[in-house]
Amino acid sequence: MKLHFIDYLIIALYFVFVIVIGFLIRRKVKSSNDFLMSGRSIPLWIASLAFISANLGAQEVIGMAASGAKYGIMTSHFYWLGAIPAMLFLGLFMMPFYYGSQARSVPEYLAKRYDEKTRAFNALTFAVMTIFSSGISLYALAKLFEVILGWSFELSIYLSAGIVLIYTFLGGLTSAVYNEVLQFFLIVLGIAPLVIIGIHQAGGWHGVVSRLPDAMVHAWKYMGSAQDNPMGVDVWSLALGLGFVLSFGYWCTDFLVVQRAMVAHNMAAAEKTPLIAAFPKMLMPFVVILPGLIAMALMHTPGSDYRLPYKPDGVTLDYDMALPSLLAHDYPSGILGVGLTALFASFMSGMAGNITAFNTVWTYDIYQSYIQRNKPDSHYLRIGRIATVFGIVASIATAYLARSFNNIMDFLQLVFGFVNAPLFATFFLGMFWKRTTGHGAFWGLIGGTVAAACTHGLTLAEGKGAWLGANLHTFHSTMGQNFVIAIVAFTSCFLLTAFISLFTRPHPEQQLVGLVYSLTPKPDTGHLAWYQKPAMLALLVLVLVLLLNLIFM
Amino acid sequence: MKNILDLRFIIGAFFSLVGLLLVLYALVPTASGREINVYGGLAYLIFGLLMLLLWFFFPSRIQEE
Repeated sequence: MKLHFIDYLIIALYFVFVIVIGFLIRRKVKSSNDFLMSGRSIPLWIASLAFISANLGAQEVIGMAASGAKYGIMTSHFYWLGAIPAMLFLGLFMMPFYYGSQARSVPEYLAKRYDEKTRAFNALTFAVMTIFSSGISLYALAKLFEVILGWSFELSIYLSAGIVLIYTFLGGLTSAVYNEVLQFFLIVLGIAPLVIIGIHQAGGWHGVVSRLPDAMVHAWKYMGSAQDNPMGVDVWSLALGLGFVLSFGYWCTDFLVVQRAMVAHNMAAAEKTPLIAAFPKMLMPFVVILPGLIAMALMHTPGSDYRLPYKPDGVTLDYDMALPSLLAHDYPSGILGVGLTALFASFMSGMAGNITAFNTVWTYDIYQSYIQRNKPDSHYLRIGRIATVFGIVASIATAYLARSFNNIMDFLQLVFGFVNAPLFATFFLGMFWKRTTGHGAFWGLIGGTVAAACTHGLTLAEGKGAWLGANLHTFHSTMGQNFVIAIVAFTSCFLLTAFISLFTRPHPEQQLVGLVYSLTPKPDTGHLAWYQKPAMLALLVLVLVLLLNLIFM
Repeated sequence: MKNILDLRFIIGAFFSLVGLLLVLYALVPTASGREINVYGGLAYLIFGLLMLLLWFFFPSRIQEE
């Protein structure tokens, strides 16, 4: 891929804009609350777009196009079955507790609801995970640009990390949130023309569908058996593993995304943030998944010279290259600059999201809670800024680590998956069963994590797993294995937490007001117009998602 | 004075500039893919101007507080 002056000019313009945003917002940052929590003043529409943009990192944009090329429309289950219902649940049932409890982070909610050891476990694992995620994102960006543009690994790493550092250091979370919204529009509007051009080249939508195997153009038709569909999962593990445990676990408990709703300017806006975000989110498959399908369709279109590259083994298709190779094939200089800027934006948005979540959890949940209490606010503002610099430097180190020991990164991601899987059970029980105790939550989390690791160690999928010396079951795909691991982890954590809670002393009920559903007064929404009521918004989203599922049945 | 920290201004200004650059680039005789750059550029320009209009005529109450 060869870039011209106009492409560099557009990329440079974007860099100038994101840095200027940081400088402009710096004037507004006067306290740690401003820096780490945006002073809880973000308008609803900005919070909503930042909510989905924080998740719109490299793994999403490149990874979903790759999954689209590999699995087809079935990939949309990550959105229409997974993300959307979870976002509705977060808005309707969980945000009132996150926001109403005045917690500044998800771990702080755990401290209020349970105890310090549960908070410490969550805060420490989350802090480490965000750094590694950020580093992996950086590594993926540098590798991609090394392959498609011939840029040096160092140039990509230091350029993107340096720019993220400038704007997050200057403007903190507000700067990250503002940039995430700009990045959202850039990603959508930068990739949308590619979808239009690609569909046109493949002979229209009918052409795309006719050139792909039937299993790739239906979301539900081949879900009856794991053997029948390219994902290698059956409907039950899909619905429970992805649709419930993994999606609810991520969207309802991961501070990276929940933080964007927690900084909305009032409770009503915080509740509506995930609900409003669900509208654009349900359309994202048309931007991030469709390029993968188009790439595969173009490979079989007469007269098209597009070819998806192979991996170095020369046998396996490199699905991760679906989006970048399509950009290189279809975009001429000029708009190519916009497309590449969209890729840059997705990497930077993912990295900034991780860094701003890390600095908040480090400052409030680790430093202020266990290292230096009762210091003036200016001290915590300084610590927040230092944590930002440390987070970026650690991300760069992680990127180099990933370059040297790719297997270590796979291993760490696997371990973090074990830690994340049971988390939703802890929150679910904590918010909806007042009898749940801190001891139950803590040991439930540990038990769920161990159960997840054991399930992986005793099963096999695509040659991965069964490291405990026995193989009790072989899955058709690692995805199917991951879904079952999530179900086992959730169930173990749920049962263990409930069991231990029955034998340990719960908090007095008066301490749980605002933290537990049955003990918290419900807001009166009777005076609101129908379109302002959270329940009606959620119903509308559900109907639209149902329609999308029916259309692509 | 209008609030330049309003995100609609920032987004509007960015896409207007990008759109303008693409349209101008399409006028260069040696440029490739002129049609795509013109249509894409015009789309970005219209989107950018729309955001600027929203910013100009409908000031955000929350951001100005």
